[in-house]
Amino acid sequence: MDFDYLLVVFLSSLSSASILIMATLGLSLLFGLMGIINLAHGEFIMYGAYAALTLVSVGFPYPVAILFATLFTALFGMVVEKLIIRRLYGRILYTMLATWGLSMVMYQSVVLIFGTVTPGLDFKQSNITIGDYSMSSYLLYMIPLTVLLLVGLYYLLTRSKYGIMARACIADPQTAAAMGMKTKKLNMITFSIGSGLAGFAGAIILPLVSATPNMGFAFVIKSFLTVVVAGPLALSGTAVAGSFLGFISSTTASFYSSIIGDMLFFTITILILRFYPNGISNKWRFKL
Amino acid sequence: MIGNLLQKNNLLKKDNLIVFIFIFIGLIVCLIADDYLLYVATSWLIFGILGLSLDLLWGKAGILSLGQTIFYGLGGYAGAVTSINFSSTIGNTFILALPIGIFVGVLTAGIIGYFIFYGRMGELQTTILTYAAVLVAWTSTLTFSYTFGEAKVAGDNGLSNIPSMILSFGEGVSELSEKGMFLSLLLISVLLLIGCQRLIKMPFGKVIECIRQDSHKTELLGYDIRKYQTILFMISGGIAGLGGALFALWGNYLNPSMFSVTEALLVPIYVLVGGIGTLVGPFLGAISIGALSFYLGGFSGGQATLVIGIILILMVLFFDKGIMGIILSIVNKFIKKPFREEAIEINIGKYNIAITSRWKKIRTDQVFKSFGGVIPVNNIDLEFNAGTTCIIGPNGAGKSSFLKVCTGIYPIDNGKVFLDSLDITNYELHDRVKQGIGIKMQKPQVFKSFSIKENIWISAYSKTRNVSLTNKTTNDLLEIFGGKKQGHRSADSLSHGEQQWLDIIMVLALEPSVICLDEPAAGMTKGERRKLSTLINILSKTRTIILVEHDMDFVKSLNPKVAVLHQGSLFTTGNIDEVCQNENVLDIYLGRK
Repeated sequence: MDFDYLLVVFLSSLSSASILIMATLGLSLLFGLMGIINLAHGEFIMYGAYAALTLVSVGFPYPVAILFATLFTALFGMVVEKLIIRRLYGRILYTMLATWGLSMVMYQSVVLIFGTVTPGLDFKQSNITIGDYSMSSYLLYMIPLTVLLLVGLYYLLTRSKYGIMARACIADPQTAAAMGMKTKKLNMITFSIGSGLAGFAGAIILPLVSATPNMGFAFVIKSFLTVVVAGPLALSGTAVAGSFLGFISSTTASFYSSIIGDMLFFTITILILRFYPNGISNKWRFKL
Repeated sequence: MIGNLLQKNNLLKKDNLIVFIFIFIGLIVCLIADDYLLYVATSWLIFGILGLSLDLLWGKAGILSLGQTIFYGLGGYAGAVTSINFSSTIGNTFILALPIGIFVGVLTAGIIGYFIFYGRMGELQTTILTYAAVLVAWTSTLTFSYTFGEAKVAGDNGLSNIPSMILSFGEGVSELSEKGMFLSLLLISVLLLIGCQRLIKMPFGKVIECIRQDSHKTELLGYDIRKYQTILFMISGGIAGLGGALFALWGNYLNPSMFSVTEALLVPIYVLVGGIGTLVGPFLGAISIGALSFYLGGFSGGQATLVIGIILILMVLFFDKGIMGIILSIVNKFIKKPFREEAIEINIGKYNIAITSRWKKIRTDQVFKSFGGVIPVNNIDLEFNAGTTCIIGPNGAGKSSFLKVCTGIYPIDNGKVFLDSLDITNYELHDRVKQGIGIKMQKPQVFKSFSIKENIWISAYSKTRNVSLTNKTTNDLLEIFGGKKQGHRSADSLSHGEQQWLDIIMVLALEPSVICLDEPAAGMTKGERRKLSTLINILSKTRTIILVEHDMDFVKSLNPKVAVLHQGSLFTTGNIDEVCQNENVLDIYLGRK
């Protein structure tokens, strides 16, 4: 086992962790800022992937497709918030049930439109070589991209007028409303950002993961567990929990098998939750 | 036993009526339906059992588990494997499949429940974890292949050749007819329904309902809520496992779709359609959904997922009471007599509980508690003996925090707390209560959907664990609080001050050696305050009373020992007159330099 191999394992594990964080951010943002869990999160990711796929296949360049896919899921999230989520505020369990129903509707709608077979798409894959080994450079891009995304969200939520107001609404909705903030509108924007993030994640991983109607399930198990481990702080909690869990399971997967990696993921999750039932970030004194 | 406590609420009668109607409709269906319909209807009852397992958790304990199909599926596979291997020689498949199905369900639920409830996870975490468990179970069973004796579990291809329902023993015995299967299921469903109704009426079920309404208060009454929740989860898992085993015998074939998300999605739908928390509701829901798809020719192909998803959304948004909920609310309108609410007269003179417990000493040794940079309790050494001790101090002095550290509501960072010579520093809240500490928090905590009498009863039961003793204590204490006439009023209808009193009486029902009261007089009228002061003076003769209070006139009326806290530290102690003369204390209170 030489140094090059270790470096490749290290980088690819870091990339997997980054993908996990990206796929989780939308979910944890909604959990941290609105206190709700969107069980249809995986299907929002899937919608993003299919939206990008459709746009690319009609001739749009991929970066444009990613942008529009993000906007599309954000808009869709806005509609969902208005029709469903808004009516259920304060009733967490019912919100989860409704989004669960929504996930099945979204899943089935894609099956009806696109079928269960994956439409093929050709992405030019470039590789970089490290010693005797090579890895996809696209996979590597995921690492700085995730860092950028985290920093961007941090600035959005701490520096922008929207971000400050949204956090005020979470800290104390009644006081925020009494000070004239439109909590309903802010919640709608937050939900739409969370959905948009899911769509973005779906679109960006398209060259790495083929789009299928049930791709949501694959991502969502680990995302749910990551959110629970992360706890209430949407950014720092997710970043730490996602990189730790993602990195360990991915490293294990490269040395042994992906099943052992997954099993380790679940085992560590259960162990962490045994000691931090409300997530690792529950007592951290950060803003986000 | 507890039955006579509830008889006047009409609940007992209503439950029996529901069971009677259920059997009656079942028998009619059995008479008029043809064999095919009976065969299909049998499966609806099985789904009803699966729904019942969720209603017990969600409706009664407020725990939404999306993972009921895990217990159902595993119970089904376990029952099927034993039946395949032994039914050719033994015959009766009920004996073979059902106990093992129940056992596997209870065991799996016990393991998952232990992690969730002993880990004290929130309701959100519980729901997500059970959902994640479904996804894990589904993906892993798709590829799981193993041969157990004659039973070949072949991943996605499933497990076939499961024997049908057989009642007689021996080799080569015949299977039950469609009618026989339906009647067996009707019998099992009715037994389960009655069992669950009884369970909820038992003290166990009462505690479960308390946990749903206010888990913290339930713990303050000395109940170990983790134990109760885990046991209920195991019972629920057992019922689901039983359902799975029945399903295996009914269909003669199992495959991993039992663990699928679509299947799991149906369970809360049965509960919602039928009416959450009604126990019979899930059967009604399963039958309605089943009949709908039967008469509409089934949801064709993949559209089932779409239709079920839409139904779930619509149910949650517009129809969350369900069929049974709507029926019950109409029935209640006719049954409930209008009740003229009168103010409750507090009668301290009637307090004559024979004291069985001696006062105990509480001693703190350098206790320390911080929240980040804030230190509300900074190395306090104090001793509380028989009689009343008031903790006073300006706002933010750490009075309430100190009391919470003593009682175990806040985990302690450093130092020790002793009850007599017992080190209770690391005791769980409910264990401290069992050792004789009674705690009344600042806000009144009563179980709002219970009557006054039930509130007192559940508190007294925690101490005695004996129904007839509890009934006696309850009746005695009820005399202080408006008497039998008011006992059946719902605690929800009480005013703020009355709820404070009920909460205090619930603490008394625990017969504590040490009573901790956090601003008990808040929100009381002058007259009520006078009565409270009388009560505390009676209690202080035989018990240790620790009181956090702002109102100096009220404090003076108790003539207590006083401990003054300032910025998290102990400032001074003494009797009330000394402290009132102390210039330094006045400086703190008035903010003088």
